[in-house]
Amino acid sequence: MLRLCFLLPLLATAFSSCTPKSKVAREKHQLPAGVDISKHEIGRQGGVFIDSTPGEPSTFNPLVSEDATSSGFIGLFLDSLVHNNPVTQEVEPGLSTRWEIAADNKTFTFHLRQGVCWSDGHPFTADDVVFTFQAIYDPRFPNRAAFDLSVDGKKFTIEKINDLTVRLTTPEIYAPFLETVGGVGLLPKHELESAFRDGSLLKAWNVSIAQKEPRRLLATGPFRLRSYQPAERIVFEANPHYWRADTQGVRLPYVDYLVTKLVKDANASTLAFATGQTDAEGLSPDNVAWIDRYATRYGFSVFNRGPSPNTGFIWFNQNPGKDASGKPFVPPHKLAWFTDRRFRQAVSHGIDREGLVRGVLFGRGQPLWGPETPANKKWYNPNVTQYPFNPARSMELLTQSGFSLGPDQKLRDRLGNIVEFTLNTNQENQLRANMATAFKENMRDLGITVNLSFLDFGTLVGKIQDSYDYEAGMLGLTGGGDPAGGISVFSSKGRLHQWHPNQKSPATPWEARIDQLMSDQLHTLDYPTRKKYFDEVQKIMSDETPYIYLVTANAYVGLKDRWKNIRIPPLGSLVWNLDELWTPLITP
Amino acid sequence: MTLFILRRLLALLPMLFAVTLLVFALMSLAPGDFLTPVKAQRDINPALIAELQKSFGLDRPWYEQYALWLGNVLHLDFGYSWTYKVPVAQLIAQRAPATLLLSLTSLLLAWTLAIPLAVLAAARPGGWIDRITSAAAYFALAIPEFFLALLAVWMAARTGWFPIGGLTSLDHDFLSPSSQLLDIAYHLILPTLVLGLGGVAGTLRVLRANVLDVLQAEYVTAARAKGLPEKIVLFRHVLRNALNPLLSTVGYAFAGLLSGSLLVENVMNYPGLGRLVYEAFIREDQFVVLGSVVVGCSLLIIGNLLSDLALAWSDPRVRYGR
Repeated sequence: MLRLCFLLPLLATAFSSCTPKSKVAREKHQLPAGVDISKHEIGRQGGVFIDSTPGEPSTFNPLVSEDATSSGFIGLFLDSLVHNNPVTQEVEPGLSTRWEIAADNKTFTFHLRQGVCWSDGHPFTADDVVFTFQAIYDPRFPNRAAFDLSVDGKKFTIEKINDLTVRLTTPEIYAPFLETVGGVGLLPKHELESAFRDGSLLKAWNVSIAQKEPRRLLATGPFRLRSYQPAERIVFEANPHYWRADTQGVRLPYVDYLVTKLVKDANASTLAFATGQTDAEGLSPDNVAWIDRYATRYGFSVFNRGPSPNTGFIWFNQNPGKDASGKPFVPPHKLAWFTDRRFRQAVSHGIDREGLVRGVLFGRGQPLWGPETPANKKWYNPNVTQYPFNPARSMELLTQSGFSLGPDQKLRDRLGNIVEFTLNTNQENQLRANMATAFKENMRDLGITVNLSFLDFGTLVGKIQDSYDYEAGMLGLTGGGDPAGGISVFSSKGRLHQWHPNQKSPATPWEARIDQLMSDQLHTLDYPTRKKYFDEVQKIMSDETPYIYLVTANAYVGLKDRWKNIRIPPLGSLVWNLDELWTPLITP
Repeated sequence: MTLFILRRLLALLPMLFAVTLLVFALMSLAPGDFLTPVKAQRDINPALIAELQKSFGLDRPWYEQYALWLGNVLHLDFGYSWTYKVPVAQLIAQRAPATLLLSLTSLLLAWTLAIPLAVLAAARPGGWIDRITSAAAYFALAIPEFFLALLAVWMAARTGWFPIGGLTSLDHDFLSPSSQLLDIAYHLILPTLVLGLGGVAGTLRVLRANVLDVLQAEYVTAARAKGLPEKIVLFRHVLRNALNPLLSTVGYAFAGLLSGSLLVENVMNYPGLGRLVYEAFIREDQFVVLGSVVVGCSLLIIGNLLSDLALAWSDPRVRYGR
């Protein structure tokens, strides 16, 4: 700034008055009767929390949102009946203080928090909850939640008992009921009812309204929208009607403003943090080392969240079908290798995962053997079959299956075909591309020739889901959360059952067993029983290795040291308790 | 004259038809579609994907989709963005002012800097002003805009003299109106320089050649012989006549008002149309892409028409020849 004053004194004066003054006058409202008292350290009101996000929210309407960026912003201002605490992975009270589950395990009665108001002062009641579910189930408004909140295509029923009590009934026992209900941001009936009536609900709360009339996006969450400038920033301010306070009766959140810079891509976002412009940033393992060098200069620390919920894997196309011209998707002799369990296990034994962690992730990760990573504490099964790096064992398995190594050091099958396949992966992900290259080297040592093909993500998804014309693929999926989220992957009918999707009836006995287990776990509320079923799914996946799991990278968060009261969850958002965050240093 | 204008505007229609048809066909050839990222998420129900496909019309062949779009355009409905669920016209209107502002400031920079420099350079060919401006102009023309933008961002990050991208500061909301104006001006300096520099160089070269031409004219000798001061000769008599060819470049400048800064906007994180259109391309949000193509084409044709009219207005020879 000093040098600037020298250069451009006129302009510089505009910037001497940076950032809002330490004391921001807030609207004063009485705390609701059902106020929730935070048990954490007592902080002080004030301060601006700045972060950045790559891309742009596409909407502020929860019925429209399909991407994590938009949903993240919506979660700041729209609260739900219950919260999923990502630190403990337990369900906690939200806008309802308690709930009862009837003996049939299908009827849930929620008691709403007393005295909660929307950010415009209008009381929040059971009518809002009923309205939200009506909107979600209305066929005029196709939306993602309608599918999450139904069992076998049948909707839940909802009824209002009184102003502060609602009852939800599921048609069948539905295991992830509380988790899915926890994700539903409740909508204000008094604000959106007219849009619901005239059928324009999906156009409500779009980016254009957010820019022109931010206050119309009513909040029950800790923040409400103050302003939105497309491609520049979103400013949230403390919701003066929020229903949480600290033990001294000071209303949360402590921070006055939450400013999110909208930047072009993940690199720009990381760079903004590394140069001290933002307060928090999720970091990938390859960025940790160089960013850490700026930690003292800009006063931040880098935290290791432990293994991320992201899995990386290779799979072979086991689809026996033919395309429209009668040509098989996979040449028959190759299909014979790919459907041979011992072949897949041999490949798995041939991968040096420790080497991948060292070479590609700079030691910041760990080998992965099953569909869940240790990040998903509640559901992770550590006792799955492992395939440590052992080329000798690979050769043994391959020999058992009739493969043999020729004098030219090339592997041949029983019929004399040279073992060679093309591995497809997307070009956008550098870490994945590096892993594919390392995999190629590993396979060469087994006498297997791997050709790499780096495709545009759209092309790759097209091959995997529509044309099926490929031999092997390498991708990742974000796991974590409830097993119900994985049905499209594990069930043989599933769309993302990538080695052989959309099966009419399970092609193998083990796929049939997984189908059964996935269906069983969905229809009981008993956690130990569900865990037992899902553990078995994970075990079968590791035994049969339709996916050859590779490694999981650790996740990191960089955070400015001036913030106190931080809870960093292993999954999900960078900071779980934004409302409890406070800083003794008001000016950044 | 009105007939001429009408004819030119009518010519816009077949061209828009051809260009949008081409863009639509090319986009349908590109792998994947708008729903590809959704398909790759594991917890999205296939029934929802099918429903979205149907509501977007993505389950039909591309020529049917195009025909539908064209039908709506005839009713002046340019469709809505699949990403933002906002009418395309509204979305473009939301982002256009920032781009327009940048284009105008850089155009202003180009002209205010290039015109006096060109006259001074031509007044004494081979003199020091001429040599320095020529060298600088060649240099500026040789550097691609996006590279200049990268250099500017790097410089801003190294020195801290200028903001790194954007149009407003983080605390813009909290500033007084006058400070807000200054804030925007401060953020505009670098992108204006980057975008304007090429314009300065181009205009300078064209204008210098013209001024040199006009200086040979007999009326200039006559004016000098009359004993008029050199300043008046140069800026009143010579410049006015030398400006004609520049008027025809106004058309191109007009065409580039909304699309000329696409690259620079993306590199410099500038919140204009450039980023919107680029992201729409990447996501295959096709109506936004088509909308921006329509705007770009229309501006090009209207711009050319305007420069023809301006030329006719300033140079009677063009008018009489018709």
